[in-house]
Amino acid sequence: MPEFEPRILAFCCNWCSYAGADLAGVSRLQMPPNIHIIRVMCSGNVKPEYVVKSLVEGVDGVLVLGCHIGDCHYISGNHRTIKRFALLERLMDDLGIDKRRIRVDWVSASEGEKFQKVVSEFVAQVKSLGPNDIRRDAA
Amino acid sequence: MKEDAAKICRRLLDSREVDGVLGLEMVGNIPTPKVFAQADDLGRFEVEPVFPIVTLLRNIWPFTGKERIALVVRGCHELAIKELAKREIVDLKRIHMVGMACSEEQARTCRCLRPYPTKTDIGTKVKGVEDELAKSLRKMTLEERGRFWEEQFKKCNKCYGCSENCPVCVCEDCALEDCAFVRTEGIPPSKAFHIIRAYHVADKCIECGECERSCPVAIPLRSLQRMLADDIKELFGYQAGMDDRQSPVVTTLEDAPLKEESE
Amino acid sequence: MEPRIGVFICHCGSNIANTVDVEEVVRYASTLPDVVHADHNMYSCSEDGVGSIKAKIKEKGIDRVVVAACTPRTHEPLFRNACEAAGINRYLFEFVNIREHCSWIHMKERELATEKAKRLVRMGVAKVALLTPQEESESPVVKSAAVIGGGVSGMTAAISLADQGFETHLIEKGSELGGLVKDLGALFPSESTPLEFVKTMRDETAASGVRIHLSSEIKDIQGYIGNFDVTISENGKEEKFKVGVVITATGADELKPVGEYGYGRYPNVITQSELEKKLAKGERVGNTVMIQCVGARQPGREYCSRICCMTAIKNAGRILALEPKSRVVVVHRDIMSYNARNEALYRKSMEDGVTYLRYTLEDKPRVEGRDRAEKITLREETLDEDIALPFDTLVLSTPLVPNPDNGKLQKMLKVPLDRDGFFLEAHVKLRPVEFATDGVFICGCARWPSDVPECISQAGAAAAKASIPLRAGKVRTEAITAEVDETTCTGCGNCIATCAYGAISIVEVEGMRVARVNLAQCKGCGACVGSCHNGSIQQRGFTEKQLISMIDCLTEGD
Repeated sequence: MPEFEPRILAFCCNWCSYAGADLAGVSRLQMPPNIHIIRVMCSGNVKPEYVVKSLVEGVDGVLVLGCHIGDCHYISGNHRTIKRFALLERLMDDLGIDKRRIRVDWVSASEGEKFQKVVSEFVAQVKSLGPNDIRRDAA
Repeated sequence: MKEDAAKICRRLLDSREVDGVLGLEMVGNIPTPKVFAQADDLGRFEVEPVFPIVTLLRNIWPFTGKERIALVVRGCHELAIKELAKREIVDLKRIHMVGMACSEEQARTCRCLRPYPTKTDIGTKVKGVEDELAKSLRKMTLEERGRFWEEQFKKCNKCYGCSENCPVCVCEDCALEDCAFVRTEGIPPSKAFHIIRAYHVADKCIECGECERSCPVAIPLRSLQRMLADDIKELFGYQAGMDDRQSPVVTTLEDAPLKEESE
Repeated sequence: MEPRIGVFICHCGSNIANTVDVEEVVRYASTLPDVVHADHNMYSCSEDGVGSIKAKIKEKGIDRVVVAACTPRTHEPLFRNACEAAGINRYLFEFVNIREHCSWIHMKERELATEKAKRLVRMGVAKVALLTPQEESESPVVKSAAVIGGGVSGMTAAISLADQGFETHLIEKGSELGGLVKDLGALFPSESTPLEFVKTMRDETAASGVRIHLSSEIKDIQGYIGNFDVTISENGKEEKFKVGVVITATGADELKPVGEYGYGRYPNVITQSELEKKLAKGERVGNTVMIQCVGARQPGREYCSRICCMTAIKNAGRILALEPKSRVVVVHRDIMSYNARNEALYRKSMEDGVTYLRYTLEDKPRVEGRDRAEKITLREETLDEDIALPFDTLVLSTPLVPNPDNGKLQKMLKVPLDRDGFFLEAHVKLRPVEFATDGVFICGCARWPSDVPECISQAGAAAAKASIPLRAGKVRTEAITAEVDETTCTGCGNCIATCAYGAISIVEVEGMRVARVNLAQCKGCGACVGSCHNGSIQQRGFTEKQLISMIDCLTEGD
């Protein structure tokens, strides 16, 4: 049986994490081909509803990557990101849903290596969780 | 209790302190919403049934013009009005709250920790009641909790009662009706329905229990909201209705720090 | 009317094509909904590439374009311009990154990389189908500039801008202009002394009409390109002014290697700048050993500071000039003498009798002495032998390290630092003197250690770039601002609380309270959208429907 290859979505903010991902590319840092990046201007633009929808409809894992706290290009967009997702994670815990399919992290424009690390770690993590079967309960 | 309530409301109307009283009237034996404009109409004024009176207030609010409205509020209603007022969805200056304490039975049914408003004009305060289900859910493992809620949500027939009757769930154009988030076809709806509903009301939920009361298949939503309220208290030191500050989820970390390791 | 989408996949020479099967992606793209043309180019950004895209747009009646190539952070404006030239609204364009985010990072997995590229293109096509035409708005640019830092870089930039007629504020923390150069003993190779050189620049700065603020600290900078509000504290007195652009020329500091090789303990163990001071006074330092890369090129600080080797070579020569009989040894881990002139100076240094010996990081020289340092024992790398080197003076060549104020300044200007703490430019090759943040520019040692000629050319470049918006007098703001659907907005205020710029307020429309966005203040971050429960507020170019169409590509079958 072929090994399970997770399909992972990553929201990256234009100024930090997307640029960090670019730097990882420029530096030819190799990583597993499971992640697909959607570019947003700020991680604050990412509604938890997008992440919920993605997971409910079969994406195996979702990464939300923004600027480090204090470095947000738009001052405090990432403050909202971390608070929203902290709340979402608690809610998922309360409902007995594994929150390890979501990861919020901070990658600056100069952190190509961190980007590689986060991606590799998260892919391995999601692989170990197996295919997303939350959609079993859906209509 | 309804006599005490009627007496107070009669005085408010007679003195023109308010222009109308929003409440319930017995029509036959069915408690029916009504705005009482004359003191003489208060003959069949009813207050006993637990009713989503604030949801009603919110719905009629755009039509109240400059009029002042009185209504009998329980502990939870008072908090709901406060949350709506924070967002200027209603105006406290035009609302007169007549505070009523809940009975012991009502407190037990609701598993309510605060079954009385700040100022109790009617009834006697009783002690709060713990939510045993929420407590036992907390003690379960993730998998056990997951199985519990899966069983519960299987029953859901997407009647939207929980969100329609919730006093702080205000959007007409609701995300739960957006097929992008919740697929149109099929019963039961996906977990997205329940996650998004709970997430949206989380920072405003004052635990009135209307969601659970409205649910035709008795999903214990109140207990979920209890757990979430505890989470918000832990994460942000914030309690909806009791806190004058803005929701911690929309403010910066300086205004409302996250009480967990951040980076 | 159905969209007519054109998809152009780039080979980028072999950068993409070596890993991603471009033709397969083209074939796949042509099967996607509403795609009327799918094509590939060797170098889409070249004149040929852009030309062929424009030609195809006209030929096939394409009204929306997807280019799958490198990163939008470099060439998005180029392709937007191409669309506009071909008659399409520039916002009906989507850039898909299949190089930095695909071909370059999955080099050993051609098949998987190709599958991923197909999915990314599919996402781009889905989004572009839902984009709507936008018009950019213009905002005015205040025709003045602020240059932070009064060293050689800062003065050069300030002079250039002032000479062009722009009111220029030069803000210097210290009590005089001149930065690191004013404290040097000699410039090399140069006729004038550093102080003469600096004095000339100071005179020029004043003569150009630059408004010089000495003993001044930056208290706050708010705003954005065309409209920065700068607050400084000059000699304790607060002053405010508005500028259109900011140039960062805050330089760097010499590392004082306390604890290394007895520095701080022995009086005769000094740094290169301390040596410069002695030599300037004509002091004799006797037999000298210089150790290079002290505190540099090692875990914790891995960069090469680029200028310390030439400084050592210069000073070694000056010691010999002053004391021809003294013996000078330079102990190093590679000599960085880049370009022909420096190589020639290195060679001459050896011919003049300076000895160059190698050490390794694993086996650093050991200093010995009682009241004064007396000798080092060196494990010479080439000879693989221990050598004892007695000396009168031990000079440590240390790197330039970032100005400790960079962290504070960075937050005010909203620009990034690299992992060593120096400022990070927008793009190392394509935009070396700008930041990704518009209206802010960088030059000199604030970016990385540079010698005087490099600093001067960077400063000139930064001033040239900065003058562009100043000269234009206006900037176009990207049309990615937020807008509210007033029919569904409940006036809950979440977006207002979220907006860091106060760009949203409540207005009354037919008795209903709804939110409204002030486009002049909206920065296009989309954080408000994240807070809106029912999607009443949306961000142009990143609407819910557009992003969801991309998510759907990953959940529906391939």
